[in-house]
Amino acid sequence: MFNSLLSVLILIPLCGVFLLFFIHEKNAVAVKTTALVFSLITFFYSIFLWILFDHSTARFQFTEYLEWLWSYNLYFFIGVDGISLLFILLTTFLIPLCILSSWSSIKKSLKEYYSYFLLMESLLICVFSSLDLIVFFIFFESILIPMYLIIGFWGSRTRKIKAGFQFFLYTLIGSVLMLLAIFVIYFETGTTDYQLVSNFTFSDRRQILLWLAFFMSFAIKVPMMPFHIWLPEAHVEAPTAGSVVLAGVLLKMGTYGLLRFSIALFPQGSLYFTPLVYTMSVIAVIYTSLTTLRQIDLKKIIAYSSVAHMGFVTIGLFALNIQGLEGSIVIMLSHGFVSSALFLCIGVLYERHHTRLIKYYTGVAQVIPLFSIFFFFFSMANLGFPGTSSFVGEFLTLVGVFESNTSVTFLAATGMVLGAAYSLWLCNRILFGKLTTEYISQYTEINRREFAVLIPLVFCTLFFGVYPELILDSLHMSVTNILTKI
Amino acid sequence: MSFKVELIAMAPEIFLISIIQYLIIYGVICTTSSHLNYPILVNNLSWLSLQVLFFLGLMTSYNPLTYTLAFNDLLILDEFSSFIKTIIIVATACTILISLKYNHFERINAFESIILLLLAVTGILLLISSFNLVSIYLAIELQSFCLYILAALNRTSEFSTEAGLKYFVLGAFSSGLLLFGLSLIYGFTGILNLGDLFQFLSVSPYNVYVINGINLASLFILVGLLFKLSAVPFHLWAPDIYEGAPTTTTAFFASVPKIGILALLTRFAYLGFYDIFFSWQELFVISAICSILLGTFGALMQLKLKRLLAYSAIGHMGFMLIGFSCGCFEGIHATFVYIVLYMMMAIVSFTFLLGIYQKKKLTRLHYLKDLTILTNSNPLIALSIAFVFFSMAGIPPLAGFFSKMFLFIVAIQSSMYTIAIIVVLTSVISCFYYIRVIKLVFFDTSYLWVPLVRLDREKSIMVSVITTFLVCFAIYPLPIIYSVQNVLYFIVRNQFDLFYT
Repeated sequence: MFNSLLSVLILIPLCGVFLLFFIHEKNAVAVKTTALVFSLITFFYSIFLWILFDHSTARFQFTEYLEWLWSYNLYFFIGVDGISLLFILLTTFLIPLCILSSWSSIKKSLKEYYSYFLLMESLLICVFSSLDLIVFFIFFESILIPMYLIIGFWGSRTRKIKAGFQFFLYTLIGSVLMLLAIFVIYFETGTTDYQLVSNFTFSDRRQILLWLAFFMSFAIKVPMMPFHIWLPEAHVEAPTAGSVVLAGVLLKMGTYGLLRFSIALFPQGSLYFTPLVYTMSVIAVIYTSLTTLRQIDLKKIIAYSSVAHMGFVTIGLFALNIQGLEGSIVIMLSHGFVSSALFLCIGVLYERHHTRLIKYYTGVAQVIPLFSIFFFFFSMANLGFPGTSSFVGEFLTLVGVFESNTSVTFLAATGMVLGAAYSLWLCNRILFGKLTTEYISQYTEINRREFAVLIPLVFCTLFFGVYPELILDSLHMSVTNILTKI
Repeated sequence: MSFKVELIAMAPEIFLISIIQYLIIYGVICTTSSHLNYPILVNNLSWLSLQVLFFLGLMTSYNPLTYTLAFNDLLILDEFSSFIKTIIIVATACTILISLKYNHFERINAFESIILLLLAVTGILLLISSFNLVSIYLAIELQSFCLYILAALNRTSEFSTEAGLKYFVLGAFSSGLLLFGLSLIYGFTGILNLGDLFQFLSVSPYNVYVINGINLASLFILVGLLFKLSAVPFHLWAPDIYEGAPTTTTAFFASVPKIGILALLTRFAYLGFYDIFFSWQELFVISAICSILLGTFGALMQLKLKRLLAYSAIGHMGFMLIGFSCGCFEGIHATFVYIVLYMMMAIVSFTFLLGIYQKKKLTRLHYLKDLTILTNSNPLIALSIAFVFFSMAGIPPLAGFFSKMFLFIVAIQSSMYTIAIIVVLTSVISCFYYIRVIKLVFFDTSYLWVPLVRLDREKSIMVSVITTFLVCFAIYPLPIIYSVQNVLYFIVRNQFDLFYT
């Protein structure tokens, strides 16, 4: 009965893409509405999947098995457990918001724009649900195509070309190493089925090499400290909705990969390299938090703070205990809400005034209070204020790491203080102070559409901050299942 | 083997040769007749030759005979040769189809070009079914001579004549080396037939003198063939000739003749030469890696589209040679899957080259920058260019990725880890120049709005079919993979039969 539930989820956005082909470019409202309707259907359908999902088992559910390249023993094998289901939900939740947020800001090639978003949605669902290493790789990398085109074509400045290249080549160079590692696994085990491979124990030396190859790919995607250069560039140059997807979901592909593949398949390698990951993450947390303080571009601030949060996530993941893992997953989800919301807020400003430089905005709270409330709320959420979902995640993460390494906990906790510093300073510089009309003389309050985009994010941030059990319930079994392998 | 069976076995080639003679007579009589006003027959002959190729395709794919040696074991017919021949016929038909309007616009009004193309195809078809050293050489020469003339077809252009001359001089030199290699084998063994040679080599001649001689001979043969494949130490002709020759000829060069040479290499490899070639495996590997490196770094600085495609062809050839150098069945399988997919991408990229031109001056694409912001004027062409170049770069889920994936699988399987890592990293660098084209098409800002001529019907069909194929290949990749696997399996089995029965 439940045989093709997941593939229907994948196919709904693709149907949207197909339908968009037949709508005339000039009919902008129809294009936008079709895209929005299909993304909303996907979202509600994924909620339906969440309801059907059985929390009491760590088994992969809704599994589907398609013969694809069986002479090579490669199958199209998809299914979800508690972890991947949450990421699918995050994706389907954010894509309608992206579509809604670019309602008036995108003016050229609407059809392509919305098709890329729907295409990306179904590719992301495939990434998070694939249970075959090769299939995972294929979708992991195919995201590059729509994202590269989104950054390059709808980006704002000429620097977007450099950003597009960096995004593309950085990601590619990491993931090709992962591809080779997958082939090595394939020849050692004779299969690339995730569940079979996860029951296989590689020799220690092998594990270390394979772990490194996978890590290269995921560390670039996360991004961890020395590989993070592409991220601020890509964020700054992408259109608002592009940044939202990039921060909200694409970065999570890296951490999801670390959790699902690096930790679960190569436990020895993970243990061996834990100090490396800790070091890189702590440096990332402190360094990027400090870097944030001296940025003048609004989007860059959020981009660097994303790197810092991802540093938290990797610390939590490699604590290798249940609090750490669950905490880091909660951070990933809450970062999906919060940083997306902050990018949307910046998009609101940018759409009106076509600048992202802090210099031009001061004291906007006096003229656009509603916007300021949202911005302030999400800044608070960004620094991990109690009552928001970030707090839950960061708290759990720090508890988890405390069990394994106290000094790392101490250093990571300074990141929270620095986070408070840059968030508050950012708020201070933009929202408060004396209103200058020297550069921008006219401000307009957020309209109903933007309000509708931001309210769900506020709701999620608050709701999961107060009642995180809803997320954690789906996680417990799957996370425990991963931990038993270590 | 009765003569009748031999005739049936080689019916496609015989049919093609006789038809070519009719076409020549037809062309000569019509173009010189005054009461027909000296008609220009290029398009007419193109359509006629398309019909010929259609029937030829039917004849090759529905040949009732499966495994036959014909004409004193000069030629062989097996599943392998039929399959490759079908591919070649289809690819040639595609190149003729995309070059229909070109000759008209460029005022190349020589109907001989089509005849020469068909003759070159005859040469390649004969090459694929050759089973004798002499027939191999003769077939290679037949196709090369036609290609020399085709390169110099546009005789009013300096570039074209230069290309023809360069190709002729270098090609003749490499043919000389090839011939020298072949005659060395004959000198040392006294055998011309490949089957006999296989039997002779498989009992491993104990005479060191003979073994050394055959080794030397196979080195010469390899050099000759690598030249025809434009693999690296012997690649220097490729960019100039790609650039200088008329684009229709280049489209043909880029896709068709290489698969013939690769088929020949396969036949050599499966016949007893395997051990002999294996002693030159390093040469294969070095040539492959150098091709990939040069194809990558050479293309980075190119400003002209045709040169870019030439370097990318060198790079792709390197990839195919990687499959070959693995020295296993899977390797050759990967190589053939690669070349089939590569041919499609090459044909479609040349369709863009032939089809896109500016409305005002009717000038064709020469420089990369002519493509700037194509998406504003022709969004669908821009999208197909993006798909084709992403596919060439090997980004999943497009077809180009799978062809590379099979090669990497084989490389890892034969424990060529270092080579695999080098190749993988270079393929990332090579992505740069492919996505640079996409960048030009989509992202660059240009104040020049260049209206372009619409693609004509044949070209748009070609582009849409191949692009859809490249995109949808991932969904159901089995047909191509299996058909290649089957024919390669048959060639193994047939050699086995030949030897043990």
